[in-house]
Amino acid sequence: MSNSHSSSALKKSLIRTIIFVLLILLVQSRFDAYNQAQLALVLILFIGTLSVTLLTGISGQLSLGQGALMAVGGYSSALMMINLKLSLWVAVPVSIFVSAIAGLLLGITAARLSGPYLAGTTLVIALAIPSLANRFISVLKGDEGLPVDVGYPPTWLSNLLGEITYEQWQLYLALPFAALALFVASNILLARTGRSWRAIRDHESAAALAGVNYSRSKVFAFVISASFAGLAGALYGLRGLVGPSVYPVSLSLTLLTAAILGGIRSIAGAFIGTVIVVFLPDWIELAIGGFEVSEQVSNFLPGLLSSLLLILTVVINPAGVMGAHRHKNK
Amino acid sequence: MDTFLAALFSGTSRGAIYALVALGLVIVWRGAGVVNFAQMGQAMFSTYIASTLIMHQYSYWIAFFVALFAGALMGALLDILVMRPLSNKKKSELLSSESMRAAVPVIASLGILGALQSLAGIIWAAEERGFPAPAKQEGFKIAGNVMPFTSFDVFVIATVLFTLFLTTIFFQKTGMGLAMRATALNQEVAKLSGIRTNHTRTLSWAISGAASSLAGLLVTPTSNLSPNTLDLVLIVGFTAAVVGGLDSPIGAVIGGFIVGLVISFVTFYDTPEDVFLSILALLVLVLIVKPRGIFSGKDARRV
Amino acid sequence: MTYSLWVLVAHAGKRERVNVVINRRSLHKAPGKFATIAAAFVAASLMATTLPAQGASTPGVSASEIVLGMQLPQTGPASPGYNKVDDAIRAYFDYVNSKGGVYGRNITLVVKDDTYKAGLTVSTASSLINKDKVFAMVGSVGTQTHISVIKDLNRRGIPDLFVNSGYSGFYTDPKKYPTTFGALGTYVVEAKILGKYIKEKFADKTVGILYQTDDFGRNTVEGLATAGVTFTPRKTSASFIAGTQGGGLDAQMTQLKANNVDVVVVGAVASAFAAAVKSANKIGYKPAKWIVISVGSDATTFKTILGAGGIAPAVSSALLAGTISASHAPSPGEADDEFVKAFKKINDDFNKGPDKTWDNNVLQGMNIGYLTTSALLGAGKNLTRPGIIKYIEGNASKLSSAALSPLGYSTSTHEAFTGFWIGEYDASSVLKPIDGTRKVWTTDSGKGAVTELKYTRPAIAADALPKVG
Repeated sequence: MSNSHSSSALKKSLIRTIIFVLLILLVQSRFDAYNQAQLALVLILFIGTLSVTLLTGISGQLSLGQGALMAVGGYSSALMMINLKLSLWVAVPVSIFVSAIAGLLLGITAARLSGPYLAGTTLVIALAIPSLANRFISVLKGDEGLPVDVGYPPTWLSNLLGEITYEQWQLYLALPFAALALFVASNILLARTGRSWRAIRDHESAAALAGVNYSRSKVFAFVISASFAGLAGALYGLRGLVGPSVYPVSLSLTLLTAAILGGIRSIAGAFIGTVIVVFLPDWIELAIGGFEVSEQVSNFLPGLLSSLLLILTVVINPAGVMGAHRHKNK
Repeated sequence: MDTFLAALFSGTSRGAIYALVALGLVIVWRGAGVVNFAQMGQAMFSTYIASTLIMHQYSYWIAFFVALFAGALMGALLDILVMRPLSNKKKSELLSSESMRAAVPVIASLGILGALQSLAGIIWAAEERGFPAPAKQEGFKIAGNVMPFTSFDVFVIATVLFTLFLTTIFFQKTGMGLAMRATALNQEVAKLSGIRTNHTRTLSWAISGAASSLAGLLVTPTSNLSPNTLDLVLIVGFTAAVVGGLDSPIGAVIGGFIVGLVISFVTFYDTPEDVFLSILALLVLVLIVKPRGIFSGKDARRV
Repeated sequence: MTYSLWVLVAHAGKRERVNVVINRRSLHKAPGKFATIAAAFVAASLMATTLPAQGASTPGVSASEIVLGMQLPQTGPASPGYNKVDDAIRAYFDYVNSKGGVYGRNITLVVKDDTYKAGLTVSTASSLINKDKVFAMVGSVGTQTHISVIKDLNRRGIPDLFVNSGYSGFYTDPKKYPTTFGALGTYVVEAKILGKYIKEKFADKTVGILYQTDDFGRNTVEGLATAGVTFTPRKTSASFIAGTQGGGLDAQMTQLKANNVDVVVVGAVASAFAAAVKSANKIGYKPAKWIVISVGSDATTFKTILGAGGIAPAVSSALLAGTISASHAPSPGEADDEFVKAFKKINDDFNKGPDKTWDNNVLQGMNIGYLTTSALLGAGKNLTRPGIIKYIEGNASKLSSAALSPLGYSTSTHEAFTGFWIGEYDASSVLKPIDGTRKVWTTDSGKGAVTELKYTRPAIAADALPKVG
């Protein structure tokens, strides 16, 4: 691989990231407080969706346990913040590292598995990990969990930008991390690692022939994916609480849905998918606003619609929103 | 000793349920090459249908067979509406790889699960219901102690063994069963040898649908019925299937009993908080030692 | 080569065009993706922009309306039973509105379903605060879910009224959570009161416990221990993970049976109590007494679950009869209680929920509606957030409620009911005071003693509306 190639990948990723940040800043300035908070949530879950995209879309491994990895990130950062009184700027990066180690362990176990075996095993992990909170109650505080939040914006920032609301502060905090995640993911996809992962997905034996170290790349894919999930989990916990009910099994499924809807092979797809899953309940509320719909129906509509969208995407257009787009371009 | 016996009996009767769930998973896996995570969604849905019939004063057995039929119908419809169009997309970019071909139907089945749960919520609300058992739920007396083992548990175990018997005969002795196995192993070759692969696939979905309805009908008398109650049963049933080997009906049944006993002994002798962790440990252990499950044949098919 | 990207941003009804010029060469094949990102934003911003309610200086209060918010699990595994509380509160508010509202203002209750997932509670709270602009939160259900938002609600000064959780951590330190008030007696208070009774009545019996391993179950064990009732793990103490009772509680019941437990205390929700009785019945275990914490003691839920499991109402009534429980309110089965009578009538006439069967949950919801109305009336025509908090904190005795115990709100605690009476289910599934006369007991959420409380509940007015003063 030539130097010029990797530097152009870097440059490309950097430009994408800058455009992304500018767009977010532009859009959020037009949003009310509620939608700013929703956008902050999009940024956080976007990082989690990227962890699915990288693992499933690029290396072809289906994990239903990303929520458990998010819990690892959330618990490690909350424990550092509460017990060691560390600032979130230290705790969150360290929690990425902790999650990466969890990903390594998972990857080593999972390297032998594929397809539905891997999917099912990770699903059991998603169920088992949150139950640790009640097992080690003195440290992990059981169902009550560990309350953490982003606190107040520092005064120098408020002096610089004027008054910053709590919602804006959540958003400003998530943005650099989301930008970092986008930059890294884009680089991985453009550079060699991405290509060797794709080789695994497309044909394991061919990849081995071509000199790609099959199981090492597979484990590496898990480590990277876990780092993303851990970061997302740490930020997700900072919305108010780290606890078992924050990282349920359904969280993993939400991330998967987002990745599939947008297009599992694309970073932009991951973002679009996340926007859809986060804003879908609002859109439904808006759409049925004028009708008399009973609570019983309206409560289940977001779940029903996102499930149907998922099925339709997989059946009609498996490549997701971004895939459809690509076809039109051709 | 009493505790030991109680744990043994309790584990056996729970295990029978997991065996049934695992059996349903194995049938679709063998017949269509898909692990169907929507299975307990289908079971929940058809049990709600049965429950509604019973509430409207129909007899238990009418409701029972209607639910089995509804389960079979739902299974067939899922194949025709979702899984078949999906497998026809093999030429598409996304499904061009082996690993994605295995992953995408799993994703579709998760979508179906979500849709069925939401739909059940819309139709029957989120109210929690019980569900009657066809046999007495009073424990037998053994050496002066009443054990957590009832006529109903005997009924469940008998049903499981009977279903296992039928499945084995079907797969090994009938032309249709052989066609199914051939289809799952290699659809192209099966097609070339004149098997109507679409029919056999749909049939395996229907049979599995009926089997999972049976699991739903038999598990809800001990638990309660709500859109989400069977989620846990599915995850445990999946573990059972993997422990025994996804390819092997007898393995699935034995896997079910193993998992049931592990859960029971952990609950009786350790603490319920360790149940999920012990399931995970069992699963990881089996997958490390024997990745295709204890009772799988030789490395018959790649996944 | 350049290309333009039109970003249409809807803002306050008018559209602006923002022209973003991007150097195409630097993007190589990427622009398509970024155009799509932009399109997604356009969609999101178009869909999401709503006009905030303007006018009043206090959010959620206008000349004609008071907007209140509530979050609870309306769907999902934790919802059964609790999903009736919001319909009952709304039914009472609709009744108040039909009588002219509070100082001419109609009460609107906006309810959000958080499915008992704390991650979602943060979003639903944001929606209630920022989108629906609620004046106050009222009657929110759940402990874990509420922990995730309580700090933010308090920091914003939003009244967090009458929370449906007995977790004492929310209420005993008003400096920490100045805007939060409870709607239940705390789990610890109730357990201490029942503990004293057990200690006196069943001194010669082996007492065991079945509890769920969450804050509720553990607070119950703590409270009982404070009263001197302790258990031996894996012998007289059996636990289960909340939400897993669906699989049956055979192991737990077998354990208690094997350890010859005569008196079983149940610190679990109603469906778990039903599962426990079912399992005990199965293994032929007949403890001399069941003692159920009020959260798990609901005759309707109990009989519904057993009934749908094929157990005839007569049999489940017999199983329930003799069970001891505590309550701060009258039993929903006390047909001649004036509050039960009035609330039942309002429930029949105004409840539009999918299931309005009269039970503890409906009674509790009605009472929260009644209590809230009383607080809103007391806070006066000039309704403000600090105003209502100050009123509730200083006028606990003036607030109206159906409970048979006074409200504990003061500057030193925000616990609701500090008193409980102990009752026993009779053959018709009505909780009747033990020994015939109703005695109310009181204590604190700390180590204080349990003493008898004399309290006469003020009568309900003929129109079933609370009166100020």
